Amino acid sequence: MRPGRNLLIILLLAGLAGCAGLGVEPWDRDVLARDEMQLTTDPVEAALDDHIYFSKEASSGGRGFGGGGCGCN
Amino acid sequence: MSHSKPRNLSATLATATCALLGSHAAQPVQAEELQTWTFDTALLYYGEDNDRVQDASVNLLATRRFVDDRSLTLGLTVDALTGATPSGAVRQAFAQTFTRPSGNDIYTVPANEIPLDDTFRDTRVAATAGWTQPLGRLNTISVGFSASNEYDYTHFGLNAKVARDFNQRNTTLSAGLAIARDDIDPVGGTPVALSLMSDVGDLANRGGAESKNVLDVVVGLTQVVSRNAIVQLNYSYSDASGYLTDPYKILSVVDPVTGLAVPRTPTPGIDGPSHEFRFESRPDSRAKHSLYGQWKQDLGGKVLDVSYRYMTDDWEIDSHTFDTRLRWPMGKSAYLEPHVRYYMQTEADFYLASLADTAALPAFASSDYRLGRFDAITAGIKVGWRTAGGNDVGVRLEVYQQRGDVPANLLTGSQTAADVFPDLYAVIAQVSYRF
Repeated sequence: MRPGRNLLIILLLAGLAGCAGLGVEPWDRDVLARDEMQLTTDPVEAALDDHIYFSKEASSGGRGFGGGGCGCN
Repeated sequence: MSHSKPRNLSATLATATCALLGSHAAQPVQAEELQTWTFDTALLYYGEDNDRVQDASVNLLATRRFVDDRSLTLGLTVDALTGATPSGAVRQAFAQTFTRPSGNDIYTVPANEIPLDDTFRDTRVAATAGWTQPLGRLNTISVGFSASNEYDYTHFGLNAKVARDFNQRNTTLSAGLAIARDDIDPVGGTPVALSLMSDVGDLANRGGAESKNVLDVVVGLTQVVSRNAIVQLNYSYSDASGYLTDPYKILSVVDPVTGLAVPRTPTPGIDGPSHEFRFESRPDSRAKHSLYGQWKQDLGGKVLDVSYRYMTDDWEIDSHTFDTRLRWPMGKSAYLEPHVRYYMQTEADFYLASLADTAALPAFASSDYRLGRFDAITAGIKVGWRTAGGNDVGVRLEVYQQRGDVPANLLTGSQTAADVFPDLYAVIAQVSYRF
């Protein structure tokens, strides 16, 4: 747990520091507001893929919670 | 989205729902608000070659958006699973007979074929519910519930997430927590770890139902990079404890020199295994760490979506996942989206091809291919378009291929990687409709 936590804190601090200068004004969000620019464009397809790969590989999650809830792994 | 459409299927459905509930959907003010139901539906077919797993799945996700950015989601999935799955035993130049997991019957695998257990048949029903709402001006909270049921498996989960916007809403930090409890009640009972597969009717090595608890923590950062790009970084920790073994997986017991399965004679007059097989054994805890990054870039109307995940756990499995999609508009209302995914993992530290007959038994051993060393490629394409009525249709077709690479030091005698690892080839076909 500990190495993970330290790495996390460093990443978050670096992220926040680096992010302060990034971004756009509210009136420049036309492109980002489009459906296809959302991080998850199709939640059902994303969930289906997570379930397939959870069943067939030793890794899961990353994008969100680790998935699961089946006897397939 | 369908806010401005005067009439569509979701409005009709919502009106019908309200009629059933006895409310007055026909009034104009309410009708405007009622159109914020969205239904995501999908039919999925997943099929592996050589009569292995086939899954037909029906999915529905209903989203109701309320004023003030509050939303409710309700999901339902029904899976029908059939086919055979590798048992973990090693293929041999002679036929092998196994007792079924139920302990009621036997089945025989011909010479030179990877042993598959064909008793795999199940229906899975899964449901989810989620609620999201703002908390103050800059925070969003969401809570959710999940449950699923199969013949031998039940899952219950709860999750909660909080997100806060910074930097003129260009930066979002989020933290989430999920807990789950799963109950496993295997057909024929839970086998004692590493015990020998016994004759038909002999359930002396079987115990009762088992369970596991899973805790997931996810913290994330989402950042608007420019007018055309957004990036997400997540760290996740997952801790599972309890019964993590697959009760249906076995290992071949082999001669330490030749690698051939050790023969066995069933009790006279009773059917039973032709060779020695032992049920697998996994540790009762597993901690996983993942780092996930996703970059989404608009390229003059085309959208590039690239992601990478690194996972490492205390079973000594490391994995890398690369995923790329490019959404390419075709005319005003259609698009093509090619997709390539590459995955590779190292084997668990207790992964074995087989158990040597003379050696003392290890504490943990599994020859489940999913804990082995392999890489996998997914390649496919999706076609999507918007109908005249303003609803979204998507059709995707993908192939998924796994190729194993068993470490040489795990092979015994005449065994080769090709004898041991059951390479996988599957087709994924999906039709989705949003209204």
